[in-house]
Amino acid sequence: MADALHTLSAAELGRRLAAGTLTSRALCEALLARYQAVNDKVGAFTHLDQADVLAQADASDARRKAGQGRGPLEGIPVAIKDNIAVKGQPLTCSSKMLAPLVSPYDSHVAERLRAAGAILYGRLNMDEFAMGSSTENSALRKTFNPWDLARIPGGSSGGSAAALAAGLVPLSLGSDTGGSIRQPASHCGVVGLKPTYGLISRFGLVAFASSLDQIGPMARCVEDCGLLLNALASADARDMTCFGPSDRALTPAGDAKQLRIGIPKGFLGKGVAPEVAAAVNAAVEFYRAQGCAVSEVELPSADLAVPTYYVVATAEASSNLGRYDGVRYGHRSVVAGTPVEMMTASRSEGFGPEVKRRILLGTFVLSAGYADAYYVRALRARAKIRAEYLAALAGVDVLLTPTVPTPAFKVGEKASDPLQLYLEDIFTIPANLAGLPAISVPCGKSGHLPVGFHLVGAPLSEAKLLAAGRLFEAAHGFAHQQAAL
Amino acid sequence: MAEGFDIDHLAKLARLSLTAEEKALYSAQLNQILGHFQALADADLPATIDDARVVDEAALRSDEPGPVLGAEAVTRIAPASHDGQISVPRVVDDES
Repeated sequence: MADALHTLSAAELGRRLAAGTLTSRALCEALLARYQAVNDKVGAFTHLDQADVLAQADASDARRKAGQGRGPLEGIPVAIKDNIAVKGQPLTCSSKMLAPLVSPYDSHVAERLRAAGAILYGRLNMDEFAMGSSTENSALRKTFNPWDLARIPGGSSGGSAAALAAGLVPLSLGSDTGGSIRQPASHCGVVGLKPTYGLISRFGLVAFASSLDQIGPMARCVEDCGLLLNALASADARDMTCFGPSDRALTPAGDAKQLRIGIPKGFLGKGVAPEVAAAVNAAVEFYRAQGCAVSEVELPSADLAVPTYYVVATAEASSNLGRYDGVRYGHRSVVAGTPVEMMTASRSEGFGPEVKRRILLGTFVLSAGYADAYYVRALRARAKIRAEYLAALAGVDVLLTPTVPTPAFKVGEKASDPLQLYLEDIFTIPANLAGLPAISVPCGKSGHLPVGFHLVGAPLSEAKLLAAGRLFEAAHGFAHQQAAL
Repeated sequence: MAEGFDIDHLAKLARLSLTAEEKALYSAQLNQILGHFQALADADLPATIDDARVVDEAALRSDEPGPVLGAEAVTRIAPASHDGQISVPRVVDDES
């Protein structure tokens, strides 16, 4: 085959599989060869069972041959972040706390992918328990940005983004609590979508901050991202926040050239690197030239988003991670003593520094005497931020900003300054606080490093975000881009 | 907002055992982060509290028994088990 399979989109691979010019086995063998060649450099995967992949591929080819193909993802590999349960595969959250654990059950999204005929293709590295913006907090291995191996891929879904940019897999799943899909997508030059809160079931997603967590699709082009989103959205009573598929979210939107685009006032100013601002401004001008109405909007409480998020997220994390007590699953210390001594030793040995930092912070903001000053005020600020976003989105279809203020930084550059790292998420956090869908789409480069723009829409406006992304992507050369490795 | 915090008390609440170095590091970092949270104290905020609901389509499920993993699958992933039950350190001392 003239073109390398690892460079093709899932949609194109699906067409070839359907036409009978490609088998899932041939595709998986090509990707496994790519894995052997570049995964050690990039470090995207923490686990890949090659025999299992080929067995799944053979089963897919047999289904197709028998006329029982299951749709556009039949035979297409999808790699999965290591906090989403797949029965029989490791479920470590890149933490020593869970490192030996093999999941005894499938998450809802894994069930959906199996039902769609996809190949559940390996485990992707992440910041421990999804806490971080660089994947440097993984206890298992380092992941590097395929565009510059001295730099971080973003996080916490850094493995999910790096695997796409390195041509290791055409589709991946991430999770997004404050930007963990969109920020690494921007840094690695791929597409990442955080759906409306409740569109995709979190059953089988290891909980970090339950009022913010969402699973979402990642791909090298917008079309593929939409394909994967369609496969994932489905009603599931096991996640009480999940309302299932929505025609409003998934039905292709009308003409993207009719979209009204809001530019939040002041967002392109402070802290945004000039090359990032230039690339995002060029995207704005593109939409204007296409006929979109572009206007400035006010989001006066935007500066409250980062402190609000880090109070709410750490409070919920300190509660959710209380389950790691060394009793039912996960690491148990060999230190003998009382149950409380065993639990304390297990947690202290199993959790890494960032997880401990966030548990301590969350414990503090919920503690007697301080909860009103921090947690309750954060909930009130969250209500204000959401109201402002919904008001802005009543007048426009999407809000456009950079995804991240600066391009990917060097490994270790911000490791000793957690607050600086938290500020990486300044543009992505509000969508989580307000439960809104958002997408990062590649829009240029800063030197050799990818830059993405960020679109936020009203609840269940995923189709609009995808349509806007496709309009931009079709006119530019950033789709399917892969780093030279 | 907070004048400070007792790192030993916090660690005890969080069931974490910290070294002296960790206590010093986390104390400094948490103070820096809490300083950034001052914006919340200064803000003019509504009385309403966000309830995290986005779309009113979400609903409570009925309270009925459903499929469960089963003892074999649960004890297989437990750190220690015996006769189909999870083992833990002794909780109640023998009377003597």
